[in-house]
Amino acid sequence: MTEPASRPEQQHIGGLWCGDVLAGLADYLDGRMAPAARASVERHLDGCDWCTRFGGAYATTVRSLQRQLSEPEPVDDAVARRLDAALADALERD
Amino acid sequence: MPDRREDLELIAASAQGDRAAFSVLVRRHRAAVWRLARALTASEQAAEDVLQETFLAVYRGASGFRGEGSARSWILGTARLKAARTWRRRAGEPAAPEPLDELGCAAGWGDPELAVAALEDRDRLHAALWRLAPADREVLVLRDLEQLSGPEVARATGLSEGAVKSRLHRARLRLLAQLRTAEPDLGGAHD
Repeated sequence: MTEPASRPEQQHIGGLWCGDVLAGLADYLDGRMAPAARASVERHLDGCDWCTRFGGAYATTVRSLQRQLSEPEPVDDAVARRLDAALADALERD
Repeated sequence: MPDRREDLELIAASAQGDRAAFSVLVRRHRAAVWRLARALTASEQAAEDVLQETFLAVYRGASGFRGEGSARSWILGTARLKAARTWRRRAGEPAAPEPLDELGCAAGWGDPELAVAALEDRDRLHAALWRLAPADREVLVLRDLEQLSGPEVARATGLSEGAVKSRLHRARLRLLAQLRTAEPDLGGAHD
């Protein structure tokens, strides 16, 4: 486990420091964590408001990104026309 | 009526010189390529060059596509290679990686006032994304916006899966840090 250096107010709960939870947050939220490690994170979260609050903010950001920006904006008509023309021109020359 | 042929079929037909099949492929993927190209280049003109060069390379490389991974990750990987030539990679990379707890603190780790509402504002998200370094934006666009899998992002970027995972986590923390300070801004880096 990582002994905290610069954040002495970190807590050690469920066998993990807050810094360990921070390091594993992406794996935890993306469901890539082994069951035992996941259970440790959950024990830590149960007793740590700090990590619960930050984990919630991190998860909200990722979800917002996926929900609000995942649909690409259509390509402008002028850009699409120039793309078609450039491809036609290049392929004619092939 | 939309053409329902699978990408693999369209690529195989393109490899045989079927321009109509290639057009379907272009229409299907051009918005995703355009978004990635804009995320990784410094101007609309450079992004447009990347868009055109990508699809030209896809057409010319169609016969070599073996279907390892999705067609989308191959096409986006091609776009990423084209874009990488237009920016100085090192300038877009974060300098020596900051300690994770420093990044976390900038992102609000340990802040009792951390507000979640601002994190869901679309304009603020957009502005924050555009303020990141291209290397961070690249991995967020491929993983969280295009929703490629970790191995697909690794294939598209040439990074190891471990490096993708680490870069993604750090990029998300930097995005969160930007979101705490960025004002809503409808524009992007190209405006």
